[in-house]
Amino acid sequence: MNMIAGWEQSGDIIMMEQMPIFGGYCGGVEETAICDVATMLASFALFGCDIHLDGPIHIRWGTTTTVETLQIAAHAAAALDLNTDLLLANQYYTLAGPCTEMCLLEIAAQAVTDTASGRELVSGVASSKGVVKDKTTGMEARMMGEAAATAAGMEISEVNKILGSIIGCYKDQYSKPPLGKRFQDCYDVKNIAPTEEYINVYEKALNTLGKCGLNI
Amino acid sequence: MTVSKALNVFDSFDRFVMGKKVREDTWDYVTIPTNAMNMKEKWSISFDDKIIPEDDDLSDRLFHAGLEMLAITGFYNTNLGRVLSVTEDEILEGIKGAPKKIRLGKGNERVSCKSRRGNSSRKPIIQGGPTGAPVSEDIFSPMMQSYARESVVDVLVSGVLNTVGGHPATTNTPWEIKATLAEIRYVREACSMVGRPGMGI
Repeated sequence: MNMIAGWEQSGDIIMMEQMPIFGGYCGGVEETAICDVATMLASFALFGCDIHLDGPIHIRWGTTTTVETLQIAAHAAAALDLNTDLLLANQYYTLAGPCTEMCLLEIAAQAVTDTASGRELVSGVASSKGVVKDKTTGMEARMMGEAAATAAGMEISEVNKILGSIIGCYKDQYSKPPLGKRFQDCYDVKNIAPTEEYINVYEKALNTLGKCGLNI
Repeated sequence: MTVSKALNVFDSFDRFVMGKKVREDTWDYVTIPTNAMNMKEKWSISFDDKIIPEDDDLSDRLFHAGLEMLAITGFYNTNLGRVLSVTEDEILEGIKGAPKKIRLGKGNERVSCKSRRGNSSRKPIIQGGPTGAPVSEDIFSPMMQSYARESVVDVLVSGVLNTVGGHPATTNTPWEIKATLAEIRYVREACSMVGRPGMGI
């Protein structure tokens, strides 16, 4: 609270982060969504934040891209979107690592979910659950941005069908996700450009997303 | 009921200090799960297999369940071991004052993050970066440049510098402060290196 006081007195823009844990103290998807809404409201009403950064996380897998955590994020965002003009963001933690199709599909699923449920900002991506050194790159952010831009304005019923298809492509790999590559192994570090291998993986993911109904 | 004013962080701190003492394990294992389950039942919150709700009535009930959850439960301060109490009217008054728009960045790179309604055709702001994941010192700037040079990325979010000057950036030590400031410099440098010095970070 001391840090918030400092930012408030300095007139800074305050982004307040909170990540409800599905399967933790709150319980199941509905209870976790209720706690998520309550905590988002508290961030604005008690602590004066300007924008809230969410991130429902799965207690078993440690990611935001599972069916349950996407459902919690979407329902909580839609509930606040219907009743308020609050600025809502969400952050990205994938199971798979960079330079893998699974990682890009996980990102696309969440970007579509966040966009269609009315969020104002998407923040990521912490690939490999955000815990492995150097396993994050700009290409994952490219997918997040391109998937979000494509999903903006689509009918929700259509979006739900697309999401079912995308998630179906990766949900069976939760227990053995591809580890992927470090930034320095899938980028030309000197020229700051993805390797040909990563470009090919990205194009394969775009092709799969197209078959799922998301034509980026 | 009309409230005298919205709460700020100072009011909230005073309420924590005056709040009821509660054990943390009681809060975690009894208060939160019991109240969340009660709100689920009271407001008939049940999700089907859809990721995004297509039923506005469900979304409305979920909003009111969350609002009531905060009002009947309060908010726990683990340092003080006390619970802040707040009314529904105070919560609603508090969110009235929240911004509908914020501006991020400067100059050519300034973007407006504005309230969207439903699945607006206006895309959300794209904040690219490692989102707190650990990054080696020798590639920190190049990695941040990889985000900044993506045209779809509007603003940046930093990673965590693993070492500073080869020294571990251990929490609660002076090295942590040095590493935090170094992170900011590296991110600013990355924006400048790709010709987007005004990007919001």
